[in-house]
Amino acid sequence: MGDGGRGSAGKPAWLQQYDLMGKIGEGTYGLVFLARSKLQSNRGKFIAIKKFKQSKDGDGVSPTAIREIMLLREISHENVVKLVNVHINHADMSLYLAFDYAEHDLYEIIRHHREKLNHPINQYTVKSLLWQLLNGLNYLHSNWIIHRDLKPSNILVMGEGDEQGVVKIADFGLARIYQSPLKPLSENGVVVTIWYRAPELLLGAKHYTSAVDMWAVGCIFAELLTLKPLFQGVEVKNPPNPFQLDQLDKIFKVLGHPTPEKWPTLVNLPHWQNDQQHIQGKKYDNPGLNNVVHLPLKSPAYDLLSKMLEYDPRKRLTAAQALEHEYFRIDPIPGRNTLVTSQPGEKIVLYPARPVDGSTDFEGSTSVQPSQPVSSGNLVSGGVPPGSIMNQRPVPRQMAGNIPRMPVPNVGSFGIGPQAVMGNMNPGGIPIQRGASAQAHQQQLRRKDLGAGMQNPGYPPQQKSRRF
Amino acid sequence: MAANFWTSSHFKQLLDAMEVDVVHSPDKEKGLTPEEFRLVKIHMTNYIWKLAHHVKVRQRVIATAVAYFRRVCARKSMSEYDPRLVAPTCLYLAAKAEESTIQARLLVFYIKKIYVDEKYRFEIKDILEMEMKLLEALDYYLVVFHPYRPLIQLLQDAGMADLTHISWSLVNDSYRMDLILVHPPYMIALACINIASVLKEKNATAWFEELRVDMNAVKNISIEILDFYDTYRTPSDDRVNLVLSKLKA
Repeated sequence: MGDGGRGSAGKPAWLQQYDLMGKIGEGTYGLVFLARSKLQSNRGKFIAIKKFKQSKDGDGVSPTAIREIMLLREISHENVVKLVNVHINHADMSLYLAFDYAEHDLYEIIRHHREKLNHPINQYTVKSLLWQLLNGLNYLHSNWIIHRDLKPSNILVMGEGDEQGVVKIADFGLARIYQSPLKPLSENGVVVTIWYRAPELLLGAKHYTSAVDMWAVGCIFAELLTLKPLFQGVEVKNPPNPFQLDQLDKIFKVLGHPTPEKWPTLVNLPHWQNDQQHIQGKKYDNPGLNNVVHLPLKSPAYDLLSKMLEYDPRKRLTAAQALEHEYFRIDPIPGRNTLVTSQPGEKIVLYPARPVDGSTDFEGSTSVQPSQPVSSGNLVSGGVPPGSIMNQRPVPRQMAGNIPRMPVPNVGSFGIGPQAVMGNMNPGGIPIQRGASAQAHQQQLRRKDLGAGMQNPGYPPQQKSRRF
Repeated sequence: MAANFWTSSHFKQLLDAMEVDVVHSPDKEKGLTPEEFRLVKIHMTNYIWKLAHHVKVRQRVIATAVAYFRRVCARKSMSEYDPRLVAPTCLYLAAKAEESTIQARLLVFYIKKIYVDEKYRFEIKDILEMEMKLLEALDYYLVVFHPYRPLIQLLQDAGMADLTHISWSLVNDSYRMDLILVHPPYMIALACINIASVLKEKNATAWFEELRVDMNAVKNISIEILDFYDTYRTPSDDRVNLVLSKLKA
C-alpha cells in the first residue's frame, strides 16, 4: 500500500491509477473526491478519496488522519468501510485515503424518504440496516474499538454492484482503541454532533465505554422509523465543552428523568450533582418513547429500541446482545441487500446518487471550463456558489460507465441552488462539513419552513458538525 | 485487532530472526558491517530514549517509536534513510499514534540540546517530510503491541509481583535488540520473567509448566537477552559518528 514516487510531470505517479471525477464533499480536514480506478485489478471501480491537508499548526500529518489510518489498517469486516489504499503527495505534503465508494448513507436515505417520498422506510430495509450496523459495531467492540461518532451520515450503504445495499460504518477519525480509559473528546477540543450523544456523556462522565455507541444506534433506529432525529437538542457552543442542557431536556421529555434507583452511578456524574436545579427541577408529562416512534409497547421493535436507550450504560444492551434480539428473528428477516424489499408487490426505492462537483481537481483548485464561464474560484472555501459546475451522475448506476462530464447548465438560476446541491453531498465513507454558504442557505430554508411557528420543524443542518 | 494480537498487523508482520539483522546492499557497498549496523540501532534506540525523557512521553510511546525505528531499519537502507533523522521522527510519529502528540518545534529544540553535532541538526520541515516517508516505509501499519501489559498480567497470575521492577527493566532493555520485530510481545515478557526469576532465585518452573507455552522458545529468547547483556557496551558517540560517516559517500 502506498507509493510516493513522482511521475514525469512532477505529479505523483499514483494519480495515474485514477480517473478523477470530481469533489463529493469537504470538511475541516480537506476534501473528498470520487474517482474510478484504472488499475487492471480494479478497473472501473468507484473509489472515494479523502484528502488530508497538512495540519494548519505546522505539525505534519493531522493526528486524526494518523489514528484513522492506524485503525483502518487493522480492521476488516463486511460492515466496516474498506480502506483500499493510502497515497502521499510529497510535493505538497498531503495524504490521501482511498476507500471503496459507497453511493448512499443513512442521512441521505432518511432525507429522501422524508422530503421526496413522504413515506416511511420499509420494515425490511430498516431491520436490515439496523442489523448490519449492529453487526459491524459488534466487530468493532469485540476488538476494543469505540467509534464515538456514530450518526446517520457516517453509516454508508453501498450502491449497485456485488455489495449492493450493504451497510458500511465509516469515519474512524474519532474512533479509539480502549485498552486504557478514554478521555472525553471534548478535552481534545473535538466537536461532535450532540443529538446522538449518550446521557452519561451529557452529564459529564469522564470516560467513554462502548455503550455510547449503542445509545447512538438507538437514536439512529428511531430515526429510521420516524424519519426524524429522536432528540434534536439545540447545541450550546460556548464555552468550550459546555453543559448541553437542552439536549438532556429533549431526552428527558421522551424517556422521563433518570433516577438513582435505576441508574446507581448517576449520582457520581458531575452535572447531575452540580446542575441539580436545572436537571432535576423540571417535570415532564412523559409522552413515552412508544408514542414518539409509533410502536406498540409490546412489539419486539419497541423492546429492542428501549433497551438501547437504557439510561444506565451498564444495563444498556450491547451490540452482541442486540443481534440476538427477537426483533431480528421475526418476519421480515433481515438480509444482506438492505435496499431490496421482501414484499413482492412493493416498489423498490431508487435513492439518488451523490452529486459530483467535476470542477475541482485533487489540488482543490477549481478549473475554469470553457463551456461554463460563471465557474467560480471560491469553491473550496465557500461551498458551491450559484452557477458552479456540477456533474450529475446518472441513476441508476449501470449507466455510470460513461459519466457525462457535461455540466448541468445554470443550476443556480433554475432555483436548484447550492443548498440543494450541496445538501445532497456526502462522500464515500466520509461525513463532511458542508460549505459555509450551503449551511447559510439551509438555515434560510429552515426559517421558511418555520412558518407554522413550530419549535423544531425541519431537519436542522446536521452537517454543521460533519467533519472528516 | 486492537485487543487481539493474533489478528493484528503486528502479528502478521513478524519477521524471521534472519531477516532483521541484514545490512541492506547500499549500506553494505559502503562497508557497513552487521556489527556496526547493530551498533547504530542501539545508539539510535538510546537517542530516542533520551529525547523522550526530555519531551516527557509515556513508556509506551518510547517503545512504539523504537519499534517503528527498527521496522524501518529492517526495510530501508541507512544511506537512504538517515537514522539521525529517522529516530526522532519515529518518536514524533509514535507520539501521534499513541495520542500524546508532541510539537515538532519542541522536538527540534531538544535535538539541539542533546547534540551539538551538526549532523544531528534537523529543522521542522525535515521532520515533517520524514514523517510522511516513514508512514510509507511502515506501510501505514502503526499499531504495535508491547510486552508491558502482558508482563503485568503474567506476574500477577504467577503471584510474583515482587519481580515487577526487575522484569520491567529487562523489557525496557529488550528494545535495544530487534526482539519486538521477531517475537510475540507476551513471549518477550515471559523471557524477561524467566530471567528475573533466575536472578532473584525464585522457582517459577511449576508456573511456567502450567502455562503450556513453548518453553524452548522462551528459553531461547532468554538466552538471546543474556547474550546481549554479556556483550553490551553503550556505543560512544565518536564510534557511531565514524560508522555513520561511511554512509555519507
